[in-house]
Amino acid sequence: MSLVINQSPVERLTAHFEQELPSLYGDAALRREAMATLREKGIPDRKWEDYKYINPAALFKQPHVAQARVGLEIKPEAVTLMVLQPGSALAVVVNGELREDLSKLDRLPAGVRVKSIADAVVSDAVAREYYNAVNGTSADPFVLWNNALNKGGVFIHVDKNVQSEVGIHVLHISTNEVAAVSHPRNLFVIERDAQIEIVESFETLGPVKTFTNALTEVVVHQNAIVDHYRMQLEGQVGHQMNTVNAVTQKGSNYRTYTFTLDGAWVRNNLNIRFSESHAEAHLFGLTMLNGQRVADHHTIVDHAIPNCMSNELYKGVLDDKSLGVFNGKIFVRRDAQKTNAYQTNRNILLSDDAQINTKPQLEIYADDVKCSHGTSTGRMDEDALFYLRARGIGEAAARKLLVRAFAEEVVTNVPNDAIRAYVENRLDHFFN
Amino acid sequence: MEEKNQILEEHIASEYKYGFVSDIDTEFAPKGLNEEIVKFISQKKNEPEWLLEYRLKAFRHWQTMTEPKHWPHLHYNSVDFQDISYYAAPKKKATVNSFDEVDPELLKTFEKLGISLEEQKRLVGMESKIAVDAVIDSVSVKTTFKEVLAEKGIVFCSFSEAVQEHPELVKKYMGSVVPFTDNFYAALNAAVFSDGSFCYIPKGVRCPMELSTYFRINSAGTGQFERTLIIADEGAYVSYLEGCTAPQRDENQLHAAVVEIVAHRDAEVKYSTVQNWYPGDKDGKGGIYNFVTKRGICLEANSKISWTQVETGSAITWKYPSVILKGDNSIGEFYSVAVTNNMQQADTGTKMIHLGKNTRSTIISKGISAGKSDNSYRGLVRIAKGAKNARNFSQCDSLLMGDQCGAHTFPYIEIHDKTGVVEHEATTSKIGEDQIFYCNQRGIDTEKAIGLIVNGYCREVLDQLPMEFAVEAKKLLSVSLEGSVG
Repeated sequence: MSLVINQSPVERLTAHFEQELPSLYGDAALRREAMATLREKGIPDRKWEDYKYINPAALFKQPHVAQARVGLEIKPEAVTLMVLQPGSALAVVVNGELREDLSKLDRLPAGVRVKSIADAVVSDAVAREYYNAVNGTSADPFVLWNNALNKGGVFIHVDKNVQSEVGIHVLHISTNEVAAVSHPRNLFVIERDAQIEIVESFETLGPVKTFTNALTEVVVHQNAIVDHYRMQLEGQVGHQMNTVNAVTQKGSNYRTYTFTLDGAWVRNNLNIRFSESHAEAHLFGLTMLNGQRVADHHTIVDHAIPNCMSNELYKGVLDDKSLGVFNGKIFVRRDAQKTNAYQTNRNILLSDDAQINTKPQLEIYADDVKCSHGTSTGRMDEDALFYLRARGIGEAAARKLLVRAFAEEVVTNVPNDAIRAYVENRLDHFFN
Repeated sequence: MEEKNQILEEHIASEYKYGFVSDIDTEFAPKGLNEEIVKFISQKKNEPEWLLEYRLKAFRHWQTMTEPKHWPHLHYNSVDFQDISYYAAPKKKATVNSFDEVDPELLKTFEKLGISLEEQKRLVGMESKIAVDAVIDSVSVKTTFKEVLAEKGIVFCSFSEAVQEHPELVKKYMGSVVPFTDNFYAALNAAVFSDGSFCYIPKGVRCPMELSTYFRINSAGTGQFERTLIIADEGAYVSYLEGCTAPQRDENQLHAAVVEIVAHRDAEVKYSTVQNWYPGDKDGKGGIYNFVTKRGICLEANSKISWTQVETGSAITWKYPSVILKGDNSIGEFYSVAVTNNMQQADTGTKMIHLGKNTRSTIISKGISAGKSDNSYRGLVRIAKGAKNARNFSQCDSLLMGDQCGAHTFPYIEIHDKTGVVEHEATTSKIGEDQIFYCNQRGIDTEKAIGLIVNGYCREVLDQLPMEFAVEAKKLLSVSLEGSVG
């Protein structure tokens, strides 16, 4: 193969795509269409309003190497160390492909199915029905990129009326010998009156830079209850784009918890759409940043239908030279009357070199609504610090205590004891 | 209340109260924009070489820019910049010294607008004083109170006059706050600006009266590109009013103004606007495109710039009066009421750029949307690195009247210093049924109750306006929202 020196990132991406296409599962036409749209829209840079504060262009310039050829071998012991909750079922996804040999799925009750999405879109009618259905006509470049090149991921299906006591832990591991991109693709379909807890965690193994472009579609049917955790724990080499597109039906309750505790570069696009009335969504987020790390949270709650409720609370602690972004959009469409939508974003800057850019955004087209957002950013409360020190607590300990208290408002909303304990433990070690 | 009903009735009868065309001979530049036109304008105004150079540089830069259409929450047909006449001057150029010499047609126009120059003149020596720099289609016709101001050393004149008489001041400050490279419309304005107001308050002088400019777009197919420059020297104070009305026109008219304010040490500038240009008819036909760049700089310590605006007119509003807080301990304020009705669209807000230490800013924005309109608040608060102990408080409330309108909030908050404290709150709601019920119960009918509630909702902002303006603003609010509640 001849090497063209002056190939643009888009051209290289296209060449890579053509090379990979024959080995990819599913509908080739869909993949081609996604690739064509991506080519047409171009690669996002700072001029794109949605990517204003972080420059994602470099991610597209990564060498495009076939994942299967570069993955490192993973030992079961390494996986054990990454388990967050010993009692739950475990699905291990390595570089975007489900590894059944490393997974433990036999604990699942009847009516809960976890399988590779690459198989499911062939054999499972539900997976075929919903694959790419929630994305709709999304023109986000990362969605398109995933659509074009994903090699698989996890399909979770919970039958109606099944309230699973056993949670599912989806462990995503990125590990490479050379820098490369992986595109985990998940689809969660929770049928009516069902309940499930899904914990996704993201880790890296090895010293080589990774980029994970994860895309998850979630369908929450009538009266179903879903707790969806995203534990972003990738190390200093981990770069992550994480898109969740969720649609919820009548009377359902979809709760998301996003903990961005590690990783060099993290961008989350969390998009929730109410398609039927009387549904609820709760979005909680806690971001702890230090070093030169970057975390960018974009959330969209789309009140397309009357009588829905959304509540969002995102908090950030930023130290050293870190950069934080929060962009929360509440969209209330025409006729979505009796909407209640609340959003709060609070941040603490611990260092002179840290930066936070926040944009809590409301777009409202209906009049009988109650919407509010609030954001505040500041340094640590000096009065509180003084109060603690006056009572004999050392400065370092007092600061730690105050950061812990600041984060607690989010952590306290976590119903899962194991996750809460894990996050609290990470908080205690944040300053070390 | 009787008075208000009368206003409403007049409003219904006339659709747009200020929709008339005064019959004054005007001199046009040919339609279109090129270097020749820029030279023509400059030559017409007998400008010095450096200003022509500045215009040409701005024009060349403008040609490399594209219309900012992707980020504002606005939908409109692009402006055909070649289909606009960039210069329209009343032929009988005002070189008058007394009112008797002013074109009687012009005086009638002002009377219709409700500011009678005679009235103003009569007020000399009385307590309430407003100096008016009347601008009709880009050329400042008559500056009143000039002598009174001159005694204090205050320069208040048309921009062209300032270019001739105070070139050193114009050269020093023009473009220092809004450079022509700033944005598309600022570049356009720098290239083709026709006239505007210039104001200089010398050291330690407190301007004894409120200064006022009345802008008015009169001729069909002309854009208006005024340029205002206000300089408050050390320890000076001035309160400046700007009010706008325009006659009814079918095709959209472009208005791209630039306002620059410079506040030196301990100086304070208060700038108030009531904007009531023709918003287009009920179906969104016609109306003014209002693309304005307004910015002030608190150049030195302890200075203060305060913007107050009541925006009820224009089909499209694109306007972000901003303050650069460069001096330590400087203060920036932004108080805004933006009302949109029928098919109007507004994307307005402010920018507070904190550079100096202990700088403070306050943003109070009240949006009211009715009919099928869209009303957006877009604001930026930036705390730069090194801006120690900067403080901002923002509050953006939206009120929706009817289920066909939109209210949007786009606050950008960028904090690069840990000592900065920024708070932002926003709420969106409609007028509570319980509030109306309460009024009804006490014998106040729904229409009046709404007037009452809206005025109460905007009170924080209206209180900031000088008295003369506050009265007009309150009337405007009632008139603008007439018929919007079923």
